[in-house]
Amino acid sequence: MWNRLPGVWICVAIAIASVLFALLATNAYYTSLVVWVLTNAVLASALRFVLQIGELNIATAAFFGIGAYTTAITAVLLGWPFWLTLLLAPLVAGALSALFGWVTLRTKGPYFLLVSFAVTEVVRLIYTQTNAIGGNSGLVGMFPPMAIDAYYPALAVALLAATLFALYGVERSDLGRLFKAIENNDAIPRSVGLNVVLLKVLCVVIAGSAVGLAGGLHAYANNVIAPSDFTFFVAILALAYVKIGGEGHALGPVLGAALLTLVGQWVAGISAWENIFYGAVIVVTLLVFPGGLVGLAARARGLVTRSAR
Amino acid sequence: MNAAVSMPAGGEVILRAENLERRFGGLTAVSGFSFELREGEILGLIGPNGAGKSTTFNLISGFLRPSGGRLFVKGRDVTGASAKTISRLGLVRTFQHDSLLSEMSVVDNILIGTYHQRLAHEKRMEKVREVASMTGLADHLQTTAGNLPHGLQRMLSIAIALAAEPQILCLDEPLTGLQGAEVSSALELFEKLRTTHGLTILLVEHNMRAVMRACDRVIVLNYGRLLAEGSPETVSRDEAVIEAYLGRGR
Repeated sequence: MWNRLPGVWICVAIAIASVLFALLATNAYYTSLVVWVLTNAVLASALRFVLQIGELNIATAAFFGIGAYTTAITAVLLGWPFWLTLLLAPLVAGALSALFGWVTLRTKGPYFLLVSFAVTEVVRLIYTQTNAIGGNSGLVGMFPPMAIDAYYPALAVALLAATLFALYGVERSDLGRLFKAIENNDAIPRSVGLNVVLLKVLCVVIAGSAVGLAGGLHAYANNVIAPSDFTFFVAILALAYVKIGGEGHALGPVLGAALLTLVGQWVAGISAWENIFYGAVIVVTLLVFPGGLVGLAARARGLVTRSAR
Repeated sequence: MNAAVSMPAGGEVILRAENLERRFGGLTAVSGFSFELREGEILGLIGPNGAGKSTTFNLISGFLRPSGGRLFVKGRDVTGASAKTISRLGLVRTFQHDSLLSEMSVVDNILIGTYHQRLAHEKRMEKVREVASMTGLADHLQTTAGNLPHGLQRMLSIAIALAAEPQILCLDEPLTGLQGAEVSSALELFEKLRTTHGLTILLVEHNMRAVMRACDRVIVLNYGRLLAEGSPETVSRDEAVIEAYLGRGR
């Protein structure tokens, strides 16, 4: 089902239902929860998107923060129009992703992971050390215009869902095939005249722009942002969503993000045990069903098909 | 097939290496190695293990930068140029190991070879079908490359290179692990690529019988240096080659 068109239409139907829910629900907690689930889904999908070229990009968290800070700075400090502040989030995050990718993607595997981790922490420290953008306290007061305010959750859900479909579209395109080829054996694309570094940078830019937009939307959804919102732990949680949902299909990170975010609401009250809970869930998932939820679904489908024969 | 051909096919020089050198720390893998490849010929590059064949391949395809010497493709100095630049000039290589995208389908593997040029999807697929048919992969397009039998995997690595429309095809031990009939059909393919498609082929191969059958000319490397050069017959009778490579008993 996952690789066929009906699966895509089911996802479109769920996305439309989510937008309608965000539009019509009267309980602000539930609407914000839907926005939060989709924000996490974009973070996880972007992380998985870069995993296509074989790299674990911890700086996903940094570009989420850059998107959020871009929107917050231009909205609160500069007073720029809402749509412009939102548009700048993916553009600035994408541009900085390009610079980051061009410098760092000549490294691979653990080296790239360490560099991306360092970049995330350096960016966070820059926020904390810069009083003009609120230092440790961050920025407050990002509100959508009055005319949009009531519809903002629906707008955010629509844009986040569109971002997820865009990432899926790229994955299924020729470009996605090239990303997979790089992950599989980058010497082959090099040998037939392709610029592998440029393709890797493009992959990071697309993912960076996606989380940049999510960051911008998060700034307006939350009204307040602080450096502590954008630590490397954001990327670690996104990795947990990917692993629990399953890496084998674009739907995996979305399912993982939905499950863990919703369960996270329940465990949020158990303080220090919260992180232990996440860790335990990841370990159990990797041990019991390493393909995640989508792998489990594929296995179940295989069993059903076999028993039907 | 071409055992009677003693002279290189009479085209222009399409690839020239001058005093090529590559050092890895204290080890000199290739030293003062010069050779020419002429348009339309099949040139064999042979030598014992560790002779520097793979390093030479990496140097001429841009996967390694030479420590010294110069390299010209179609008259253009490409010394130190990237693999992308050299490939786009028409020199495309295959690999001895990890020569395909094992987790992807055959069609996706061959498609990768077409992406250096802008083409409509249907044109790309046309190219894929043409190359697949030429290499005996037409019935396996949806198979995952890693699940293909070994012989077809070797063919697939050639198919990827062919999809990139090379003028110079550099084949790194393409016959390794192939059985008799597979070797024959591979050699027929090389000949067809030369005669029908006008390709120039540089062949690194350990199967000496195949090299003697397929190549117009053979160059022999030993300890990173040129040991002998000439027609397959000349080289196979060369005392130094027999001693260094073929063995005294043969």
